Amino acid sequence: MAKAVGDAILRAGNPGRSGHALSIRSARDLFVARERLAELFGCADSSRFVFTENATVALNQAIKGVLRPGDHVVTTSVEHNSVMRPLRRMEDGGVRVTVVPAGKDGVTEARNVISAFRKATRLVVMVHASNVSGALQPVDAVVAAAHRRGILTLIDAAQTAGAVPIDLSTLPVDLLAASGHKGLLGPQGTGFLFVREGVPIVPLIEGGTGSRSESDHQPEFFPDALESGTLNSVGVAGLAASLAWILRKGVGTIRRAEVVLVGQLLHGLSRIPGVTVYGPADPAHRGSAVSFRVEGIDPAEVGARLEKRSGVLVRAGLHCSPNGHRAIGTFPIGTVRVSPGPFTTRAGIATFLSALRKIRGPSA
Amino acid sequence: MTRAPDTGLILIFRGTHQVLSAEKRLKGGGVPLRLIPVPRRLTSDCGLAIRIPFDHRAPAREILSRARLFPQSAHLPRADGEYDLVSL
Repeated sequence: MAKAVGDAILRAGNPGRSGHALSIRSARDLFVARERLAELFGCADSSRFVFTENATVALNQAIKGVLRPGDHVVTTSVEHNSVMRPLRRMEDGGVRVTVVPAGKDGVTEARNVISAFRKATRLVVMVHASNVSGALQPVDAVVAAAHRRGILTLIDAAQTAGAVPIDLSTLPVDLLAASGHKGLLGPQGTGFLFVREGVPIVPLIEGGTGSRSESDHQPEFFPDALESGTLNSVGVAGLAASLAWILRKGVGTIRRAEVVLVGQLLHGLSRIPGVTVYGPADPAHRGSAVSFRVEGIDPAEVGARLEKRSGVLVRAGLHCSPNGHRAIGTFPIGTVRVSPGPFTTRAGIATFLSALRKIRGPSA
Repeated sequence: MTRAPDTGLILIFRGTHQVLSAEKRLKGGGVPLRLIPVPRRLTSDCGLAIRIPFDHRAPAREILSRARLFPQSAHLPRADGEYDLVSL
């Protein structure tokens, strides 16, 4: 991935803006990445994948592009601020928001989400797996129920894209957002929004697309409709390389390996006195994020000691999801979060657990 | 009417993604082609067009129709530098 980014930055042209060789190469980088996203997520039409800077921009585009004053939206109490903040802003503008509470394990019951649907419900926004508790949410059941009632659905797959299988040919979700730099293993500054054909959406940003240049109105065809201005073709070239790796490996294989590592992590954490782990006990019911606390030590201090003593880097605090922490009872102090990925080994987990066992001891 | 020496058929699409998507499918179907800058006389767009040999029009039509990638327009160059609008 890093080599692809390096190669791309040495030959970057503005994609779609010229017919010269560098412009075409950058345009091909975008095209190849789009085709790989479509293959990864089981979609026949790659033009429906719009590149964004990250999942936050994708979620903002989806929420603000679909909702109008008077609409009702249903979401859950475990959403990231990249969902909650745009929704609160829309609420100020006349959108009604229902937040369905999750259980103490961070899981939202599908029946509770579905029972919040009203006649005016326009959209359901739901995270696929919580970035705090790791809890997988019942998106299949909710999307199916919403689809039957003609309610649009938006899934925040920031924690699961590339790590948990998602098949758009069987899951009738209307909008799917993800970042490129997490499970998709791409560089920061990349992300995407999938918009199913026929979903009415207005662009968050209008501007130059290289197409329909004679008109001062935004094109309506995809991906140009939602992609204005010069794109991060250098970053997307890196994303294309990481997508190729994921496609070769298979998301199912990656998922099975991560479930084993999360199981090892949960088992090890459960045997350390004073450690409390949050989220579902079964690794099959979670993504790879695992949140915990060490009794009597601030999460930030736990993080600092882990880095110093074992070189394990963790994120401590509220993880931009105050609601997610309220749901599992860890607000406002937060937790420490570790997230095994495809390059994590069993030995790496063992090193981390060993360092955590000695967290109360004097530093070396 | 006099044709230009290179009488390839120029296919204009809505955007760059559609051009590259058409290129992939046409190549896959064995249609020889070249990516060219969009002639300014044909559209104000900044990007690309596809040129195919005129005698490959029929397979190109079939491939692009199947892929729902039908071009916005097709043109044949004339010797005087203008283009005739033709059907694919």
